[in-house]
This record gives sequence, C-alpha cells and structure tokens, in this order.
Amino acid sequence: MATYFSSMKQVFINSEEQAYQESVWQPPADIYRIERGWLVKLDLAGIRNEDIHLSIHEQRLVVQGLRRDWIVEAGQQYYSMEIAYNRFRRAIEFPAPLEQARITTKYRDGMLLIWLEVTSQEGL
Amino acid sequence: MENNAYPTLPLKNTVLFPHLVLPLSVGRAGSIAAVEAALSSEDKLIAVFPQKDPRTDEPAADDLFRFGTVGIIKKMVRSEDTVQILVQGIERVEQLEMVQKQPYLSLKIATLSEPSDTGTEIEALHRTVIELAGKMIELVQPQIQVGIHHIISDVEKPLHQIYLLTSILSLDFDKEKELLAAATQVEALQLMHRYLNHEVQVLEVRQKITSTAQTEIDKKQREYVLRQQLEAIQEELGETNPEQAEIKELRQRMEETELPELVRKEVEKEITRLERMPSAAPDYQLTRGYVELALELPWNKTTEDRLDLKRAREILDEDHFDLEDVKERIIEHLAVMKLNPEAKSPILCFVGPPGVGKTSVGQSMARALGRKFERMSLGGLHDESELRGHRRTYIGAMPGRIIRAIRRTGYQNPLLMLDEIDKLGRDFRGDPAAALLEILDPAQNAEFHDNYLDLPFDLSKIFFVTTANTLDTIPRPLLDRMEILRLPGYSDEEKQHIARRYLIGRQIREAGLSEIQLSIPDETLSYLIRRYTREAGVRELERMLGRIARKVATQVATGQTQPVTVTPQDLVELLGPERFFAEEMRQQLAPGVAAGLAWTEAGGDVLYVEAALLPEGKGMTLTGQLGSIMQESAKAAQSYLWSRAEELNIDQKTIRESGVHIHVPAGAIPKDGPSAGVTMASALTSAYAHQPVRSDTAMTGEITLSGLVLPVGGIKEKVLAAHRSGIQRIILPKENEKDLREIPEHVRQSIQFILARRIEEVLAEAIPDLNR
Repeated sequence: MATYFSSMKQVFINSEEQAYQESVWQPPADIYRIERGWLVKLDLAGIRNEDIHLSIHEQRLVVQGLRRDWIVEAGQQYYSMEIAYNRFRRAIEFPAPLEQARITTKYRDGMLLIWLEVTSQEGL
Repeated sequence: MENNAYPTLPLKNTVLFPHLVLPLSVGRAGSIAAVEAALSSEDKLIAVFPQKDPRTDEPAADDLFRFGTVGIIKKMVRSEDTVQILVQGIERVEQLEMVQKQPYLSLKIATLSEPSDTGTEIEALHRTVIELAGKMIELVQPQIQVGIHHIISDVEKPLHQIYLLTSILSLDFDKEKELLAAATQVEALQLMHRYLNHEVQVLEVRQKITSTAQTEIDKKQREYVLRQQLEAIQEELGETNPEQAEIKELRQRMEETELPELVRKEVEKEITRLERMPSAAPDYQLTRGYVELALELPWNKTTEDRLDLKRAREILDEDHFDLEDVKERIIEHLAVMKLNPEAKSPILCFVGPPGVGKTSVGQSMARALGRKFERMSLGGLHDESELRGHRRTYIGAMPGRIIRAIRRTGYQNPLLMLDEIDKLGRDFRGDPAAALLEILDPAQNAEFHDNYLDLPFDLSKIFFVTTANTLDTIPRPLLDRMEILRLPGYSDEEKQHIARRYLIGRQIREAGLSEIQLSIPDETLSYLIRRYTREAGVRELERMLGRIARKVATQVATGQTQPVTVTPQDLVELLGPERFFAEEMRQQLAPGVAAGLAWTEAGGDVLYVEAALLPEGKGMTLTGQLGSIMQESAKAAQSYLWSRAEELNIDQKTIRESGVHIHVPAGAIPKDGPSAGVTMASALTSAYAHQPVRSDTAMTGEITLSGLVLPVGGIKEKVLAAHRSGIQRIILPKENEKDLREIPEHVRQSIQFILARRIEEVLAEAIPDLNR
C-alpha cells in the first residue's frame, strides 16, 4: 500500500520544496518600514545587474531575473549543488499603491536593496 | 528553449511532469554525463524522456518516448557511484532529432504549448476526477487526514492538478506516459477519470476482501486468546479441559488394558484422531464411543471354569426336575472340558414347548460352569445389522447385539443364550439367519467380524445355547451347526413335582406370605393341573398358583389370621369355573369318529377325526383347516380302503355311491402333518363299516397306500397328552417303540401300547367289531 505514496517524497522532499510551484525560485526578502516608505532587502547573490528586472503594478512590487552559473576554475566538477540557478521571481504586496513611489536600488555584498519612497501623504 | 539541443536523461519506469519536483538517482554513465553537462551550463536545464523499454541500457533517440519534459536541476549530491538530483519539470517537449549519443545523449526538442481549452465538459470531468481521487486516497490510506482538496488547493489549472495527482496516486508507467502525451485538458481529464474509476473499483473489492478476511482473523484470534486464557485459568484452578481430560483418561485406559496388537494400533489411531477433533464435531462422540467399546471388550479376559462334576450335577438337580438328557449332556461337556481345555465350546439347541424351562436350564448351566450368563431374544429379529452391527459411517451406528452382550458380561467366555431362534424373521434388510451361521460356526467364529467394531473378535470360547419351540422354521444350515436337545412337556405327575418343589414356594414368597399361611394339598394341586391348565410346560400352572397366593394374601392383608388350606372346592371360588373339561375323552364314539394324537408346540393333544358318509354325494370334502399333507393322508387312506374293501368287510358299493366328509375339530386351528394317517383310515373304515372305534383308544402314525404304518415324531408329548385325557390304549407305529423309553415310568404303567406295522393291525385293534 505504501507504494502509492512513495512518490510523495518528491512532493515533500523538504520543507522548502513545495509540491507544486512555479519553476522559478524565490529569493528570500526582508522588508523594513522606514520614515519615508519601505525598504526591501533581497538575498540575490551572484547575479549580474543586467539580469535583474523590477516592475510595479498598483500595490505590487515584482523582482525577477536570472542567476547564471559560471565556471570558477577549469576542470571543476560538481560534487553537490544546492544554490538555485536560472529564473527567479519575487512579488511583494504593499498596502498602498506604489505608482507614485520613487524607487532607488543598490546592490551591496550580494544583497539587493530597494527603497520605495512616497512623497504624497496617501498610502504608505 | 525553442529547438535547442539539451543533454537528455532517459528515465526507466517513471515520468517527469511539468511543475513537479522529482528526486532521481542517476547511475548510468551516459546519464551521469548528461547531468554533468546540464550542471555545467548556466541555466541547469536538462531534457527528461521516459524510455520505451526500461531494459534498454544505452538508449538512443528511438528508444525514448516521443514526449518528454524539460526540467531544471535544483539540487545535486554525489554519492559513491551514483548522482542524486532533484529535478523540477518546466514544460512538455517533443523530440525532433538526435544531436549526439556519446558521451551523453543530446536531443533537439520542440516546446509544446500548454493546453488551455475550457468548457463545461472539462468542469464536469474535473469535479468527478477530484471526487474519485478523494475516494481513492480514503481507500488506500484512510489514516491520512489531509484531504485531496487540501493537497491541490493552491493549484488552479485542472491539468496541473492532474499532474500533481500522478505524484500522489501511483499510476502505471504506461498510463503516466499517456497522460504526458495528452495534448488537451479534456484528453488528460478523460484519461485520469478512466484510470481512477478502474483503480477505485479494484480497491473497493480489495477492501471488501480484506475486511472479510480481517473479520475472520479477528474472530479466530479472539477465540484463540480466550481459549488460552481459559486454559490458564483452568490450570490455576487445577482443572483441566474436560475433553483433554477425557482423552487423557482414554489413553491411560489403553495403556493399562491388555489388548491384542491389532486392536491397540486401531485404538491408538482413533484416540489420536480424537485429540485433533473439536469436541463439537459430529464424529467426536461416535469416535469416543468406539474407543470406549474397544477398550471395554474382553479381548482376552475369561472366567475360570468350575469343572467340579459332582457340584454341577447338584446345581442342575437343585434347579430342575427330571430333564435327564439335558443334564447328562451338560455333565459330559464338563467332563470333556476337564480333560481337554482346548475343546470347542458346543452349540446346544433346546427344543420344546413354552414353559418347560429351556431358558432356566441355560441359567443353571451357567451357574454350574461358573460362567457369566447373558441372554438375548432373537424373536422377530429381521435385520442382519442387529446382529452384526452397523458400519460406522451410518448415523446412529451401533455394535451388533452379540458384541453388546459380550461387552455387558465383561468376559470372553460367557454362556450366551439365544432365545427363540425359530422366530427369526427375514426381509430386505438381509437375513439374520445367515449372520447367525457365522456366529455359530466354530470354524468361523474365532474371527467374528462386527461391522461397527471392524476388528476380528473371538467368539469361539462362548458357550452358545439356543432355544426354539419347533425346528421346522429353523433354516437347515443353521440347524446343522447345533446339537439338538429336546425338552418335551411334563406329565401331570411331573408337574405336581415341579409345583411342589419350585412353583408353590416361589409364588407364596412373591405374594409376601409364609409357608405356614397357605398350603395346597396334592389333591387340590392335581385338580388344578387337570381342570385349570392345559399345556406342556408349567407357566400357566405357575400363574394359577400365583393367583391363589394373591387371593390368600388379600385375605391375610384384610385381617384374617388363620392359615389357609386350599381344597379343590375352593378353586372355583378362587379361580372361577373350571377351564378344561378333563380329558375330553369322549365316553361313547359314534361310527366314523376316531381319536388321534397330535404334536403341537404346546406339547401334545388328542384330536378326534370325524368322517361322515354322504349318500348320493360325490368325492371327498375335507374341513377343519387341514394342511396339504393331511389332505393327502385322507385321500391315501380312502384309496387304501377302496382297494382293500373286500378284505376289510366294507361294501364297495357304499364307497362308490356315497361321498364322504372328513372334519377335524377344532376347526379354527390349522393342522398339518402325516401322523394322522392311521386316524383317518380308522375313522373312514368306521364310517364305511358303520362300526364305532373304541373310545379308550388313541392312535398316531403315517400310512402308505400299500398299508404300511410309518413312524412319526413327538411320541412323548403325544403319549403325555393321551395320558392327560384319560386314554388307556395307544396304537403306535412299531418303529416308534424305542421312543417309549422317554416316557415317565408311571405313565408307561397306566397305558397299554399297541405297536402296529400295518393298517390292518391298527384297524383290528381300534374297531373290534370290524370283522364280525
């Protein structure tokens, strides 16, 4: 009888993996309240600038892109692999529309920092 | 991804669906190479195709299924000689062409757009599939509390839900391939619906079977546990299971009993069978009964014979009056046994009228020999299995009566009395007489085979005594095996002796009186014998004495203290009017009447043959229930007379011109036999000659057409009957002279015997006036 569920392993391989997910990976994010609005910190190490795209739709901030693997040393061979490569995407909902926000980004020590500042009194 | 070449991973027995994560263990060199190639690329993409035949070791493009999935390698770990990877499917693809086969397989592929057809059919199918999947999960592992809805709740698209379901429900490899190939949602849903439906049905049946089996097992286990507990409790209480105790006891008995090897084996086998049988089994009681019988039978237990001839004689004399022949025969047998202990036991047959003491002689014999006495009546027995037992396969099977009787006595050599052997019946259930042949044949009965016992039992040590009233109905072969001892009836004087010695005392005791309270003088006794009984034996006499004793007991009980002496005059008051008008001897005989002597089962009898001439009549009429032999005797007598009319002074014309009627009273009783020949001849002669026959004369004898008188049987009984009737002269065939020795002395003295060789002599003695 257990054979019916042998393949459940692939569903709950560990707590990070979900049974069904988009094939893109999600970078973890910290979100801070700041005086002028929001600060979002994303763990996005080893990604080139040109491979990151930001977009805003109403109250949603979407960060997506691509992490490419590269060869560190000639003749290297994988012994194991845990880092997620290829496409990533992260969408974050805010309680107020963001169209008017001013966005600044900074890439420091493998972290992508995004400031969302609002001048008007509404929202945020 | 469009039309690019990808390193390709062939899969045995499994399919990767888009959006699902699959852990894979990669071992083949080519596959490892393909994984390495994918990992060394920037995007970690790999094409995954199911193999057509899992047994192909190095598959080329043709060996792979047309449809596959492109996936991303999410994680990878290397172990000794395999590589573990976690692949997540991205989208369905179709192979176009092979780019290379070595060092790893690489295929050019085309991405297939994800189907997004909609409609009510999809809705309906989708719901059904979800329902069926729920049912299936419930059947497979009801303990999983997570409902199907919970698992697929965050998946919107029906197709994706189906892909997800494949990971939950284990489907055949072939079905998974079909699903992957499905180009539209409808197609995929239909396939899934079909699989689930089939699966659910199979599971339901399976569950039914399992639950039935489970119930069975539960019940059995419960019983087993309870039994174990019961045993433990019984052990604690010092009690054991009654069946086990029973079997143990049987075993012990078997150990203690001395049994022949053959029997021991059989009994052991049956006890072992019993042990394995539940006590509720229908065979249990039957088998137990059988084992008990086998253990109880006296296989070689015998009583010691007491071979003291003097003492035996004393016992026989003490119990029985007269019966010299029988007593002598028994003493002879004892003598033989003394000299040759191995001698075969005889088989005696006592023949005689009722009440002459056949059965009690048997009892006395047993007492004299010191053997156990057992009697069984064969009267009316018509089923062979009564004697021989039923086979154990029958319901209610029992051992035969012989074996049962032996079991009762507990010894192998009892004196077994088979009463009424002349009254054996026979019908469709077999012939008991035939079974008796085996039982009574000394050559065969050492290995008598009872159907129930099914083991040979030795009957040869049994002293068989049979009794019969007549030998006529006993089959010849059976008669051959027995030694016939006749116990004829008693004369009036003998009856007096018997009554004095045994009967009166016994009846007085039975009635609770003492000898002083009731006395019956000789005169009364003889009156009683003559007027109130007519029998060869003494049964009726004893009954009459019993009645007298009871009447007196009534008087005593109502306060009369005087001792009673019964006179002949008292008898009418005590017993009612006389029953038999003594001696029926007709004082004056009319011409045509002659007294004959007949032998009956009740002893002897005097019967008158009456002949009357019918002038102008024709032929001969015979009445009085005469058998065919008797009728022939009458015809022979008439023909003889006719042929000798002149010598006998009979007018031939009378014979020619008149019919004759012969009648023998009592008309209601059937009579047969040749011994009335001389009586018929005398009666006819007397009628034709119109001269009376002497009234004090009776006769018996068979005649021939030439006028000879032939000997007949039962002389003693006939003479005694004549004596009882007051006849003083008896005409007998000459050859019966030897039989006169058997007749008691006092009877011989009081009767004149005339021995005749020819009819002329008979007629001369019977009709004195014939030749005048």
